[in-house]
Amino acid sequence: MKPSIYEDSRDVFLDTVDAKDYIQLERISTIYQVLKDSIKKPFKMVLLYGKPGTGKSMFLSKLHESIASEQKAYLYKTPILDESEFYKTLAQDLYEIRYDGELNFTQFMRVVENRELVEAIVPVIMLDEAQLYSTIMMEKIRLLSDTRKVKFVIALHKTEKEDIIAKEHFQTRIWESIKLENALPSELKIYIQKKLMKANCIDTASMFTPKSINLIHKLTDGNYRDTNKLIYTLFDIYHYYAQNTPNKIKRNEISAKIIEMAAIHTGLINA
Amino acid sequence: MLNIHELENKHKKYKLKSFAPYLVILLSITIVLISILFFLLYDLGSNTELNKSEQIAQKEESQREENSTSNLTQEKNETLQKEISIPEIVKEVPKTEEVTEAIQKKVLLSPSLNFIKSIESQAPIYKEKVHKTAAIVEQQIKKPIQKKEEILLPAVEEVKESMAIVEKTGSIDIKRRDEEVDIKHVIKRFNINHNPALSLFVAKKYYQLEDYEQAYNYALATNELNNDMEASWIIFSKSLVKLGKKEMAVETLKKYINYSSSSQAKQLLDEILSGKFK
Repeated sequence: MKPSIYEDSRDVFLDTVDAKDYIQLERISTIYQVLKDSIKKPFKMVLLYGKPGTGKSMFLSKLHESIASEQKAYLYKTPILDESEFYKTLAQDLYEIRYDGELNFTQFMRVVENRELVEAIVPVIMLDEAQLYSTIMMEKIRLLSDTRKVKFVIALHKTEKEDIIAKEHFQTRIWESIKLENALPSELKIYIQKKLMKANCIDTASMFTPKSINLIHKLTDGNYRDTNKLIYTLFDIYHYYAQNTPNKIKRNEISAKIIEMAAIHTGLINA
Repeated sequence: MLNIHELENKHKKYKLKSFAPYLVILLSITIVLISILFFLLYDLGSNTELNKSEQIAQKEESQREENSTSNLTQEKNETLQKEISIPEIVKEVPKTEEVTEAIQKKVLLSPSLNFIKSIESQAPIYKEKVHKTAAIVEQQIKKPIQKKEEILLPAVEEVKESMAIVEKTGSIDIKRRDEEVDIKHVIKRFNINHNPALSLFVAKKYYQLEDYEQAYNYALATNELNNDMEASWIIFSKSLVKLGKKEMAVETLKKYINYSSSSQAKQLLDEILSGKFK
């Protein structure tokens, strides 16, 4: 096994949101299908929620990639917190209208109401990290979706605040509500191995035994982001040993010691 | 950039931390087990020592008992072999009455019933026999006195038997001599191994032989060797009373009751205070 294999394996787990890195897991595929179907249904809004690192951003990214070729779909990965800027961006993307001055909610509503749908297909706006939008802003987004001229897919963290938002603004109008959860150990194993095999790192993929997967799951609680961070560090340590003291590492399976060292480094273990 | 050496050190610390609770639990369980084992072995050792000494004492007593019973049966046989006529028995009746009276007096002079109960377990059986025979003599002799003319041969035989036993009780001095020899033998053994069970045995024997000073000495020696032996404190206090040191006995008993809350000691204290035990 070449020492560079660890380097390659490490880079697979860089924490990036790229639809190309999307890993098809059975449960996730089902959820994704529900989300995709909900876009076609006459829902005004779709709510996608879950703890940080459960793959909401990846879902939105994958959905955007999937439907962008068929209909108008825009993904805003970071919230546009300035209200005028938000309407101006929407006007630009949806209707290709450029506003130099201020654009307020009333003006933008008028624009939206006066526009006719092309082939009766409602354009989709995807808002990631929607918990950062103010309550008033969320109310206005809800009013925009009521026009049925634009559909919103909102991804937000599941916290108390988000619950309030869901209750106060969306309860009667929604729609579809999809919850994302952490991976089970079996899912985590598939996730890690598929990710490695996708990058042609078959040797390192076979190093993950059920024991090491269980330990990783215990440390990360099946959280995809934490798992990515942990395995990135894990292969970084392996890379170091392979270059400096190769006799210290086993090449047939992932050592629990190195998993724990990676967990200490990433802060998953408080040593 | 990873600092592997620092990470390895942190990992070592983490491992030690994670094993610490298990180590503590394991250590505490081991300590508990060792202490339990130690106490069990200690208890077993002391019990076997006590049992051995008790067994030896019991053997000696049973041997003595056998000797006395063989003597009694020999004498019985001798008396039965003699031909006795009814008038002769009648003549002898007053004799038996005198002996029974003497025994009754003895009974009256003996310590309280509780005292008897306390030493009953280790008291030599021949004493009991004496009491029993006394009772038998009382019951069986009273009958011939009341119905002198109606005396039948079997009754006469019984009277003869009891007579022989009573005569036997008359030779108490000889027994006591044996007893003294036994005591000396036990004392010798006590001087060798300083077993409190032996000194208590000696104290009891001396008390029974009414040698209260020696009983006091050996009870004291027993208490010094083992201050948890209730019987020893009882003999000690009784001997004190018998030696005329009632106040000291009361004081000793009070201290012992405070220490052990012994019911037997309480009872004895009550008896001493009320004057039942003199």
